This record gives sequence, structure tokens and C-alpha cells, in this order.
Amino acid sequence: MSLPPLTHGCWKRLVSGGAARLKTDQLALQLLCSRMERSDAPLDKRVGEVMAFFTRFERILGREIAQLNTL
Amino acid sequence: MNDLMTLDAAARLIEHGTPCCVAGDLEALRQLPRGAWIGGSIPYFMGSQGGVVARDRVFVTALPPTPATRFETLSAEQVGQVVADGPEHGYSIVIVPGGSQAHARFAQDASTSAEALSKPTVGWVSGVHLDELATARPVVFDGRTGKAHTDGLVVARVDLPEDRLAVIEIVNIFEADGGDVLRFERGGFEIGEVLVNGERCSFAEYLLARGNGDGRLPLVGNFGGASLNASVKQVDSAAGRVALYAPVFPGVDYHLARPVADHVETFRRHTADRSNDGVVFSCNCILNFVHGQFEGRSLGNTPTGPVTFGEIGYQLLNQTLVSLRIV
Repeated sequence: MSLPPLTHGCWKRLVSGGAARLKTDQLALQLLCSRMERSDAPLDKRVGEVMAFFTRFERILGREIAQLNTL
Repeated sequence: MNDLMTLDAAARLIEHGTPCCVAGDLEALRQLPRGAWIGGSIPYFMGSQGGVVARDRVFVTALPPTPATRFETLSAEQVGQVVADGPEHGYSIVIVPGGSQAHARFAQDASTSAEALSKPTVGWVSGVHLDELATARPVVFDGRTGKAHTDGLVVARVDLPEDRLAVIEIVNIFEADGGDVLRFERGGFEIGEVLVNGERCSFAEYLLARGNGDGRLPLVGNFGGASLNASVKQVDSAAGRVALYAPVFPGVDYHLARPVADHVETFRRHTADRSNDGVVFSCNCILNFVHGQFEGRSLGNTPTGPVTFGEIGYQLLNQTLVSLRIV
């Protein structure tokens, strides 16, 4: 499953509460989700940070990418 | 190569030009030849046969040959560079002296850096023999210069091929007790007050009332589903302060940990089905070693490595087994 584009609504949902519903065993992504929950950074900045992470680690995040449309 | 070995064997590796990270007693580190290595003081290890306390052996993690591996020594003021200057495609191994300014700064900075999670940083906090807590100071060691430092950080930067990724994993044998929810309005290592289920009270009094005045049980924070510990260093009821080995953070739900009956068996159970393929570095915590009575006892399939005064896996961790895996 390929990574949704930056314009896809899943990214905004992910950084606006959806991270709490993401199921993952990847420590880095868990820490990123925790940071998103606590962050007061602008939405676009959070989206950029999360998408950059998914892009870099796409190869090992298949299970998590499959959840993006369901969050 | 990730193994406990004699000083002669370690010296041969260094003289052969193998870049490496070395954990050992300070006097052992001083006896090693200068070369492409960094190190930190600690005489406690988990070897393949179990827990070891040794001043005449060192734990060596061999790294890829130059130019894939480079070393740096940073001051406490340069702690932000640990992550900022991390390889775009690779990982960093960092060692920081326990109780130093660099230790405290790293604990605060690494958890807030936007890049910290995309540039994996693994490592550990150096220490001393527990009999020498009052007389000796943890150090880090730059093998290129032969100099020991009581503050600052030593860092190995390792580039990976484009088709490989560095992933940090943890095994935390502690879990939240499911009782009171603890929150902190201010983060840090020194805590006065806590919100217990929303009600403000003295954190020291709370821990004493819960029977954890000896700090045996850590706090367990929920970080996006990951359970991360902050271990209790000292409960000072007179001063109304609690000192922690890692900072707590506002906005995170914490619980006291559920007691662990047998640390060794619990580690064995947690790691029984884990593969160690691709694991290139690992470390475990001195509090687990002591409370679990690891000396002479094997943790089964658990990766070997130094036993440390704090573990680093993206950020400072406590009472946790940390591993770096290349996938």
C-alpha cells in the first residue's frame, strides 16, 4: 500500500486526534504520536513532520499505512 | 562483534583499525590504545552467560569501517548537535556521563527535537561501581585522544546503505498498575507536586503512602502506546521533593509500575520469541541488574551489552532494555 499524498485528509486526521487510535509497535512512531497529541504547533507543521516520518520509514510501516484511512 | 572481551582482545581490534564503542571500568579504558573508538565508564555487563561485574574486561561494539563511521566529542552546550548532526541515512550512538550537565540537557532536548525520531540516536549513560558512588565520577572517553571527560558527550555517527534502516526497540518489563493517573504540570528531574486523578498533592508524600519511598518501582508513562519509565532516585519528604533519573513530561499520563516478582524470568518471557537478527547494539539498566540480581544469571535470548546508569533510545529512558536493529 502506497503512502497517501500530502493533500489527503488522513494526515490532518492523524495529527488531530487520530494518532491516539493508531496501532503500532514502532517505538519511534509511538513517540511521534505522543508528541503530536501534546503539540501546539500549527497543523501544517505537524502534518509535515508526520508525513516526513512516514516517508522515511515507509518500508517498515506497512501495517500503520494500512490504518491511515480508518483513523 | 558485540561482546564482552579481555583488554588484549579489545586492543587488537582497535589496533586493527576497527571503529568501536567500548564500555568498561575507567582504568580498563585507560589501558586501551588510542584509535577509532569512544567509550564510557561502567563495570557492569550482560554477557552471553549472564550478568557480569568486571574491571578487567570491556564490552566492545564493533562498527562499520571508516568512512561509514565517524566520531565526535561534544560539550554540554553542544547537546543539540547530537540529533541535528546525525546522519541523514544511518544512526548515532551516544554516551554521556551520568549526573553531568550534558546528561540533563540531553534528557530535555532530545525529547523535543523535531528530527530526533527520524535520525535514530541510541546509547547510554555511563556510571561507576556502586561501591564508589560517593568517590568516583562517571566519564566518557575519546579513544582518539585518550582523554576522559566528566561532562559532554562522545558520539559515533554511522552511515547505512540506502536500502537499510536503523530501528530502536525496547523491552520494558514494567507495566502501569492501572490505578491512580499521575500528571505533572511541570516537567523535569526534580518534582514537588503531582496531580493524582486530578487532585494536587505532594509527590513525595504520595510515593511514601504508596510504599514506594525506596523508589523500587518506576513511574510508567504512556507515550502513544509505548510504556516509558522514569525511575525514582530519591524521595525527600522533609524537602517535599522527588528526584528522578529521567524527566517527566506535562501532558503525559503516568502510573506507578506494577511490582515485578522476578526480573530475570520476566525478561526471558518478554524476549523468548524475539529475533536478534540485525541487532547491533543493546544495553540494559543498572536498576534492573541490581533489583533483579542479574549477576551470574542469564536473561535467555536477551541481547548482551553494557549495564548502564540510563539508556538512550531516541530519548533518555530508565529501567529498560534498549536495542538498535538494522533492517
